[in-house]
Amino acid sequence: MPTVDTAAPATGSPARPSEPGSVLRPPRWRRTTPWLLLVLAVVAGFGLQTQLYTGQERTASTILMFVSLAVAWNLIGGYAGYACFGQVGFFGLGGYTTAVLMTHARLSFWLALPASAVLVGVFAALIGAPLLRLRGHYFAVAMLGVAEGLREVVTNVPGLTGGGAGITVPTVDAGAPTRWLGNDGFYVLFLLLAGVLVGVGLLVSTSRAGYALRAINQDEDAAAAMGINTTVAKTMALAVSAALTGAVGAAYAFQQVTIYPERLFDVDITVLMVVMVMLGGAGTVIGPVIGAVAVAFASEWLRQHYPLVHTFLLGGLIIAAVILLPQGFTTYVHDAVRTRRFSPLANLRRYRL
Amino acid sequence: MRSAAVASVLVLVAAGCGSKGEATDTGAKTGTLTVGASLSLTGSLAREGTLTKEGYQVCQDVVNKKGGVSVGGKKLTLQIQYQDDTSAPDTAGQLVDQFNDKGVRLILGPYGSATTASTAAVVERNGQVMVDSSGADDSIFTKGYKRTFAVLSPATEYAASMVQALYDLANPRPKTLAFVSADDGFSKTATKGGVDKAKQLGFTVVDTEYVPNGTSDVSAALTKLKGKNPDVILGSAHLAEGVAIVKQSKELGITPSGGFAETVAPPTPDFAQTLGPAANGVLGSTQWTVKTTGKDDWFGTASDYATTFKAAFSGREPEYHGAEATAACLVLVLGVQKAGSTEPDKVRDAIAGLDEQSFFGPLKFAPNGENLTKTMAVVQIQNGKPVAVWPKESAEAAMTWPGTTS
Amino acid sequence: MARDHLMSQFLQATLYGLLQGGVFALVAVGFSLVWGVMNVVNLAHGAFVVAGAYLAFELHSWTGIDPFLSVPVVAVALFALGYLVQRYLVNLVINAPVFITLLLTFGLELVIVNGMIMLFTANYRSIPTGYATTSLALPGDVRLPLGRLIAALLAVGLTLALGYLMRHTRIGLAILATGMDRGAARLMGIKAAHVYALTFGLAVALAGIAGAAVGTIGTFSPADAGRFTLFSFVAAVLGGLGTMSGALYGGLLLGLAEAWGGQLLPGTLVNAVAFAVLVVVLAVRPQGLAGRSFYAARVEV
Repeated sequence: MPTVDTAAPATGSPARPSEPGSVLRPPRWRRTTPWLLLVLAVVAGFGLQTQLYTGQERTASTILMFVSLAVAWNLIGGYAGYACFGQVGFFGLGGYTTAVLMTHARLSFWLALPASAVLVGVFAALIGAPLLRLRGHYFAVAMLGVAEGLREVVTNVPGLTGGGAGITVPTVDAGAPTRWLGNDGFYVLFLLLAGVLVGVGLLVSTSRAGYALRAINQDEDAAAAMGINTTVAKTMALAVSAALTGAVGAAYAFQQVTIYPERLFDVDITVLMVVMVMLGGAGTVIGPVIGAVAVAFASEWLRQHYPLVHTFLLGGLIIAAVILLPQGFTTYVHDAVRTRRFSPLANLRRYRL
Repeated sequence: MRSAAVASVLVLVAAGCGSKGEATDTGAKTGTLTVGASLSLTGSLAREGTLTKEGYQVCQDVVNKKGGVSVGGKKLTLQIQYQDDTSAPDTAGQLVDQFNDKGVRLILGPYGSATTASTAAVVERNGQVMVDSSGADDSIFTKGYKRTFAVLSPATEYAASMVQALYDLANPRPKTLAFVSADDGFSKTATKGGVDKAKQLGFTVVDTEYVPNGTSDVSAALTKLKGKNPDVILGSAHLAEGVAIVKQSKELGITPSGGFAETVAPPTPDFAQTLGPAANGVLGSTQWTVKTTGKDDWFGTASDYATTFKAAFSGREPEYHGAEATAACLVLVLGVQKAGSTEPDKVRDAIAGLDEQSFFGPLKFAPNGENLTKTMAVVQIQNGKPVAVWPKESAEAAMTWPGTTS
Repeated sequence: MARDHLMSQFLQATLYGLLQGGVFALVAVGFSLVWGVMNVVNLAHGAFVVAGAYLAFELHSWTGIDPFLSVPVVAVALFALGYLVQRYLVNLVINAPVFITLLLTFGLELVIVNGMIMLFTANYRSIPTGYATTSLALPGDVRLPLGRLIAALLAVGLTLALGYLMRHTRIGLAILATGMDRGAARLMGIKAAHVYALTFGLAVALAGIAGAAVGTIGTFSPADAGRFTLFSFVAAVLGGLGTMSGALYGGLLLGLAEAWGGQLLPGTLVNAVAFAVLVVVLAVRPQGLAGRSFYAARVEV
């Protein structure tokens, strides 16, 4: 099986080793620029908000949510190369934890969100310990099973979760623990979440843990031989990725007010995360952001303009993108700039049989 | 970081364009009455979403053919904008928000209870008005919403009406009933209504089994029912489960002495088509039949509506998904005319005070938005077609009993 | 009396579960083949199943041919489709990381499913036959449904035939060899591009046959594609990838787990049981029940 690495040339990472000895200490400007850009992007997000209709804000919130989800998935799927096909399970678990805490325990949303994140992180660590021993697709399927199983469990405890009829978070009545934030408020919430998550992505990318994960992605046995405790590294990556996904799920549940297991554990959400990360560039900081914005925007635009055939067209676009840019947009640009070969047809020659 | 820089610049450029504010409806000036509808055109509810769209389409054609909606001495052309919510509730809510941005304040409901619950919340926040054509779950109407009106009878009536029909018409009257229910909110509410009604009328409910929503294998539930020998098996489920209940019962040799009754599956044309002769005798509950009493200026009687529908869709018989959609659209049209305005607040008040007869039956709303004056009808598949058998005064044929064909 | 009844209920559930398992196996065997030989997770597999069901349905309504008799036609048509898809689409990215082929098949799934909605509408359909809902009465008040019996026998027969094809024909050996070591197989003069396309064509043909069977014994609509893919996932992994008997074991196990789980637990927990079995089997024996696959399943460190 030829392995083409997707993670190593991390364009978004300012700490790509250029010469020996500078592995963890690139020049100061290379370390600070990404952070400046991140702050600038968040500020731009606030600027954008002033220009949007309130309904557009909601659409933009959805796009920002997918940015967060893609960035979170990238930690385990992109850096470590473990195809977590059950990521939506963490999303749903986080959402339902928040909904249940707010409904039954009348807990404030601002406490329910971190509580959900922690709970989901711990859950992921517990199931990760046995399942991360599985490789490749087997891990993917096991996680898919976990997510589907979670959905069934949530559906089957109607006393707690409302079952298939859904659960409605109290947001308007006098006893509501936290009032609904409004489209304005949720835009800000999702913008800040996305900002924090991209920040975490930046940290991981430049940290020892990031290198450990990339090493695991390239050759796990070799990584272990180099003295990396691969089990700890993988489990941590999964737990952090899951906790962040759970936090996004929590925000989503509050935004939706009424949530249903069928949507909160919808396998399509996982697939979208994978699509966004892979098309944007796996194992890079900016890749998932670009992928998420592009895919979410394209699907929204197509739906508005071609309501009858939009999914068909989206499928065609994905096929074309996969064939022309199989290594992801960011990595393609990076390699093209370095090698001065811009034709995507070169990709075709490289990956076809 | 080059790409990051490019992205930030793009965001900044985007931030510079556009303008904040809410678009206002220019309909009154341009001569069109624009109405938004978010529908499941793809995804798991695509079939029912498409049927709903047909109903809206018939309404638009008829209203415009008759000159349009008169508002303040002017005739406005009705124009329904469709968007696809891919059967996802969150997307449906988002689309209604987008309609609001475009100044579309009058909304026709999506298909299904989950999507309707999601859009109702958005409609309420935005001060839009929605007429719901298919979201029947009673829980939608317990949240204090003032801007969502449902033309249809609520979920609790679906199975209860069939229990009542069995009580009134079945001879010999069955003694024991068993329920097979899907586990979504609508089906569970319908089951609860049916069980309550059965107990009230003195039937014995021997078992209630739940199956996953949308499954095509209900064999486990049926095997468990078999030993309890119910006289009638009542299915509270959608089409896939509904077909499976009848089909797999035959496979498993389960022959209730009275037969089968199912909520929403039998009135849809797919039911009799997929089951063939096995469908005969199955009871179903429906919001509307060609014998529904009532008449209105736009569509005439129920049988006039059937003629219009057949002409529009190359001879295909109408069924209730289409009729309830047309009725929802009719309510909006009546509301706008009565209000003499397209202002959502005025239209809301006009609809709240509506008391009209129509091809769909009475249109009159309780304070929570439910249409409680309307009753459901019960159909039975006879010779491969659903015919109305209850209530007796609007029946097309007598109920064949027992309903078992084999 | 009560015990007799419980016994009969148990036997009925077991028999039905086994038949249902046979259908799962038929749905899954092509999926398992593609994954095992090419390391491609074909998310469009369920869409091909539904496409097969539509083809059988259309053939039945044009000519009145019985869906089980139209199987050869369906198989040939879908084989051609599968061959072309692999040769001119999937082969273009076969050397890219495994995720990429997965994304490609996801895109294909969207295109095929929505193409079918456009062509056939989203109506629920079923291929009507006289015998699909009839059943043989066995002693002990147990019924043997005819339609499902035929489908299950078809599954077993095809699996055995495929096993024979793989071990005793040149094509089969070429497929196996390419699956084990593509480089070496090329050195032996095997055209990998052609062999891969054959493999995919075979898998899609099997999916189409499964579709004809599923369309006869149950209902189908384009929206069911995802469900079929999910069944395939579970059954293929339970049994072990790439081996023809693996999908059969996996399907039967899944059918039994659902049938027995359905008797012991509330009906809505049935799917939870299936996934619990899946996760446990993976954690304990990742290579599946039938043994060995071509790609390493577990990290041994």
